[in-house]
Amino acid sequence: MIWRWLRLVAVRGALRLLGRVLRAAVVAALVIAAAPASLVAAIGAALAWLRGWPPARLYRAALWCLPMVAVWLVATAIATRSASGVAVAPYHAWLSLWHGAHPASPAAFAAIAPVAIPVGLAAGGLAWAYRIRSMGTGTGGLSPDAAVSFDLRQWRHQARSARARIAAPGAIPLTTRDGSLGAGAVIRTVGHPGGPIASIPYPRMRSHQVVIGTTGTGKTTLLLRLWAGFMATALRRHAAGQGRLPLLVVLDCKGGADARRIADRARRALRLAGARSTAIWPDEASLSLWALPPAQLTTTLVDLIEHGTGAAAYYADVMEAVVGLAVEAPGGPPASAADFLARLDPGWLTMAYSSGEHEAELALVRSAGRQTGDIALRFRTLLRRLGGGLDGPGGFGDADAWYCILEGTAEISVAEAQARAIVDILASYATAGRQDREILLAVDEFSAVSRRLPVWQLYERARSLGLAVQVSAQSWEGLATDEDERYRIAATADGGIWLLRTPHPEPVAALAGTRKVTETTRQLTGRIAVWSHRGTSRLRLDPVVDPALIRALDVGQAGYIFRGGVTYLQVKRLVTVPAAVTPAATSPGPATPATPPQADTEHPPAPAPAPSPARAPHRLPDASSLLDDAFGAEPAP
Amino acid sequence: MRQTEGLLFTAEMYGVQLDQLAAALGVGEARARTIAHRWRGQRYAESARLGPGGPWTWVTRAGLAACGLRYTAGPPALGRLAHIRAVTAVRLALEAAPGYVAGGGYWRSERRLRARMGGRVGLRQHIPDGEVHWPDSAAVAWAGECWAIEAELTPKTTSRTVAIMRELLTRTGDYGCPAAEIVAGGPPRHARVIYLCAPAARPTVARAREALGSPGARVEIRLLPPGAELPSPVPRRGAASRQATP
Repeated sequence: MIWRWLRLVAVRGALRLLGRVLRAAVVAALVIAAAPASLVAAIGAALAWLRGWPPARLYRAALWCLPMVAVWLVATAIATRSASGVAVAPYHAWLSLWHGAHPASPAAFAAIAPVAIPVGLAAGGLAWAYRIRSMGTGTGGLSPDAAVSFDLRQWRHQARSARARIAAPGAIPLTTRDGSLGAGAVIRTVGHPGGPIASIPYPRMRSHQVVIGTTGTGKTTLLLRLWAGFMATALRRHAAGQGRLPLLVVLDCKGGADARRIADRARRALRLAGARSTAIWPDEASLSLWALPPAQLTTTLVDLIEHGTGAAAYYADVMEAVVGLAVEAPGGPPASAADFLARLDPGWLTMAYSSGEHEAELALVRSAGRQTGDIALRFRTLLRRLGGGLDGPGGFGDADAWYCILEGTAEISVAEAQARAIVDILASYATAGRQDREILLAVDEFSAVSRRLPVWQLYERARSLGLAVQVSAQSWEGLATDEDERYRIAATADGGIWLLRTPHPEPVAALAGTRKVTETTRQLTGRIAVWSHRGTSRLRLDPVVDPALIRALDVGQAGYIFRGGVTYLQVKRLVTVPAAVTPAATSPGPATPATPPQADTEHPPAPAPAPSPARAPHRLPDASSLLDDAFGAEPAP
Repeated sequence: MRQTEGLLFTAEMYGVQLDQLAAALGVGEARARTIAHRWRGQRYAESARLGPGGPWTWVTRAGLAACGLRYTAGPPALGRLAHIRAVTAVRLALEAAPGYVAGGGYWRSERRLRARMGGRVGLRQHIPDGEVHWPDSAAVAWAGECWAIEAELTPKTTSRTVAIMRELLTRTGDYGCPAAEIVAGGPPRHARVIYLCAPAARPTVARAREALGSPGARVEIRLLPPGAELPSPVPRRGAASRQATP
């Protein structure tokens, strides 16, 4: 009985083995028979694996081969002069590959190529799609964790391909043909259409956006790319009569030397994008607080001064009244800080309102007389600390882009006041009616200076003014001061969220939502446990954005979250004209001419290098011989 | 080659009058007129009589493109003709001096400086009428220096002149340079400032230099070279006769 059972087991095993061998033989025979197509399919699938391509790319390649097939069929029809000849041409080509005068020769392969290549590419695409699907659902591979290894390997391949794509000069234009902003090369998409170039439609730049990424992850590179893309695209639209001139206003709320270096990069990037002028505030350009409408000027000036509650509220009211009197005096609003401070004087105010028609104001001046001196002192201190950057001349209309540096790290209270004033000036500019600009306000680490103007308030205000706001921060926590504000900002980012490497991406990742994926369990079988291909599958919800992937992003990689999908991309760095070497860092002499951004003729034939310390100002060498030769001796007084 | 340099010279100076063009080209006025005519034929330049004296020649957009200069094309502003002529005279006089050639001096024009600034940005900054750069390897004592050139035809207020002098003497970065280059308290860009004054403006400039104190030692004052002023308008014959008639 036992022997009979053993024989049965042996026969069953042998039959099973025979069946498998036969099946393998049939498959091998089919593959060999279709050799040209199967060869192309194998090459296509291998390339797709190596480069991390989606199967659609192989399908598209197959479609692009159809003109070749059509030409071949037409040529065959002309040669054979019969429809049946065309119908059997592929079969004859295949036959001659194996049984022709020169089987398996290059000529025979060339004859079958017009059919074999598209068929092979399509077959390779199907095979690759099957492989991805089986690994994604957990049914492929020897073990369940094979899917994880496969995914990681594919990510590496896709990232490598994306890096290769952006390495070519001009591969990622700032503005694509359809008027979108080219941001970089696509690594992978989830819920978004794929493609080689990650491009953002221009309207999204006219909506609110959020950018989150820690230091050293390529956030500045991404921001520069977006700003330059916005500028280039908007200028192009304006030239085509489709939009207004752009205005980019950047508030760098950290300040310091880094901010100035970024400002320099931004200026060069924007110049490449077509911006004629980039104002760097307050180092090189100024804005005029005094150009605000009188009512707004009063509000802004009062808000610039810190005042508490309780007894201080009374003082705030007195201050508002005095400032209002000074600003809305009959002779017109103040033109400068000095003018304003001169007005904070009981004598000046009495004289200004003593025409006989302003009895109420005069009474106000008299009752506030004792506090006016204190108010003047506070404003004198504030305006001195604010510096000349808000004392004009100048306005947002003077340049295509403004890079405003706020010393939010070194002098928080000053930076807060500056931020408040700049936003008010911009709001006034946007609402003036005469402005015809499409404005993008980009704020970096605004939470550092947002005590007096919460970010969400800025958001709401910008929305009502038609401004687009782009908020960037180093982390989720840096976006705003409390959780409600953070969610309010992130949830209203209609233009999308850019996520670079950050240690705590979960809240943002959760905003992207979930998607349905198939999960498969696999059984362990045998005494030496191996995973069989038996099990059950079920649908589960997976986050669209994988927080672990965000945490592992490399420098220059970013995830763009928009409407429940994400596009991972490798940001293309803008290549700008190199900055001039700062002479102060190497030698103590005066600055040499900066490296020109324009033509070579910008270079002096022999740029003046830094003089040695020996040529200090008080020991200048005598150049009078030259000057006397050219212009004669110095005239006597 | 000489003509190319003349075209570049004209482009850098906004525009030049015929006698100054002749001086820049090192030819007579008749020959300069022919050259200007040729430039017009090539659409590289335009000529017109904009004020008293000879015709002015300026470089067109096509000429600027040929020179590789990205300046805004246009005739010299009528209100600045006198100033442009004065600055051109200063440049010609300086370039004619033996020490200038020996030192390999390079004139960096106001137009180039303004082009570097771009648009209306930096309105608070004063742009000199020119800069002269001396190569470090030049065989002159002032090698490696950068000079600011100012031509003063009419007197400003002393305080305004002091402010301009102080700005020029304390500036650290290049015009239109990256913001990172502007270092407060850093070494000055201009080793000295050369003021070329009309006789009327000289006392104000001298007073301003005195008011500066020790930094004033870096300010040199000279009179404008001969021919720097625009020629006086020649009264029309009829007008002259009317004036002469009692």
